[in-house]
Amino acid sequence: MHIPDGYLSPQTYVPLYGVSLVFWSVALKKINKELSIKHIPYLAMSAAFSFLIMMFNVPIPGGTTGHAVGAGIIAILLGPWTAVIAVSVSLIIQAIVFGDGGITAIGANCFNMAVVMPFVSYWVFRLIKGNADGGARLSIAAFLSGYVSLSVAAAVTGIEFGIQPILAATPDGRPLYAPYPLSVALPAMALEHLLLFGIVEGIVTVLLFRYFAKNEPGLVYSLTVKEA
Amino acid sequence: MKNKVPLFLLERPSSDSFIPGKGGLKISFIEKGIHHLADVIKTGYIQWETASSDNFFQKIDARVKILFLLFYIIIVSLKKNIPSEVLIGAFVFVLTFLSRLEIFNLYKRVLFFAFIFGFLIALPSALNVITKGEIILPLLHLSKPYRFWIYQIPEEIGLTREGVYGVLMLTSRVMNSLALSFFVLYTTPFTEIIKALKVLKVPDSFLMIVTLSYKYVFIFAKTIEDMHLAMKSRLAGKVSNAEGRRWIAGRLALMFKKSQQRCEEIFKAMLGRGFSNNIKFYGVKKLQTRDWVASAVFFIVGVLFLWI
Repeated sequence: MHIPDGYLSPQTYVPLYGVSLVFWSVALKKINKELSIKHIPYLAMSAAFSFLIMMFNVPIPGGTTGHAVGAGIIAILLGPWTAVIAVSVSLIIQAIVFGDGGITAIGANCFNMAVVMPFVSYWVFRLIKGNADGGARLSIAAFLSGYVSLSVAAAVTGIEFGIQPILAATPDGRPLYAPYPLSVALPAMALEHLLLFGIVEGIVTVLLFRYFAKNEPGLVYSLTVKEA
Repeated sequence: MKNKVPLFLLERPSSDSFIPGKGGLKISFIEKGIHHLADVIKTGYIQWETASSDNFFQKIDARVKILFLLFYIIIVSLKKNIPSEVLIGAFVFVLTFLSRLEIFNLYKRVLFFAFIFGFLIALPSALNVITKGEIILPLLHLSKPYRFWIYQIPEEIGLTREGVYGVLMLTSRVMNSLALSFFVLYTTPFTEIIKALKVLKVPDSFLMIVTLSYKYVFIFAKTIEDMHLAMKSRLAGKVSNAEGRRWIAGRLALMFKKSQQRCEEIFKAMLGRGFSNNIKFYGVKKLQTRDWVASAVFFIVGVLFLWI
């Protein structure tokens, strides 16, 4: 999911920086309004937690292990706007310190994993949860929020890759950046996430959610905040 | 005083004692977790050590280095031919050499990522199924061409000249971008990088969030590693997948609680030190002559790369 440098043309990464910038500004304003001066340490700790979720390898059925992106559960626990900043900071640290994701692609990666994923996750969770206060419905909502949000983010990434041959090619038609056309990039990204990684994300989301809902329901944003 | 990474930090945690035997000790999720965390801590430590040495690029102001990184990464992304990418790669290599970085370790990492994210992922695009062109290496001959929905499979499948060029171009671009990023990262302390982002007009409050978060990533990573090691040392039997998942969920929840508690503590500490709503990053030094000279040289070389 982390797009490296070299795959996206300037025609793609520059506008995506712009879109991410808009979301960062709105998110900082919204959080600042709700949390006032406390927002700095709160966001820093949330970003650290977002980073650490990926450090945990979870045993999944079939004898293997996998780790989640975590943006889905972060959105359920902290709310989508806090998740925008927390996951973005975590992605920026990953790109700068660990070379995980490109510098030019920070805007695109933040848009896919820190904007699309938290909002899809949060709204899928709220939609399926409805008025339920407990039971299997909440677990299903948590699983699907992780599963759907990662799959949608992967599809968006696939579209970003797939439009590169259209946006930037030599006069003889040779692609200059990501080489696969939309007909290959989109199904490839969507299918592998629908069939494998989305399930891992869903499992991690439901596991964590159930633990919180049982032991610390007061800490879960989506269980305590009523949307206007 | 010369810093050296202690040998024990460079060693991977031993897993010899956990080779699955007849008892079926299944703790790969713990082992993988420990390796992952050890890598995070090690990377941070090595970066801190190489960045704090006193060599060519390390001496230059971080603001110059940040602008250098952005300028050159954009140049790399704009170039459309392999010879230009090779020249830029050679230039970064010379800078790495002059800065006395451990070239083998740095390029081992660069080549590993470039091979996976540049070469392997792009390789299938060299086939004529994806990139049309002159076949230079035929691989498969089918009895007839096939058509399925919007996909077409030609009678002869092989690597095309245009496709191979595209793969090499993408690999060299990914490699140069990685080399540039790691080079700046290995010669600049993270806190300096963040402070230098001020030249890009990034708000101070955002920089403060990143700095605090970065510090606590390492503190929490150590805590999680300790939790994994404590679990590993207490295991004497098989851990089922379900038990493993429950344990991970519990540890993650604990980390979340710890991070929320820390948030309160940090906030009180900030108030205790006179923190107000107005956040400002201090300690920005004036640029010296060598910084201006380096900026001019990097700018001229960069423009030359853009021109060729």
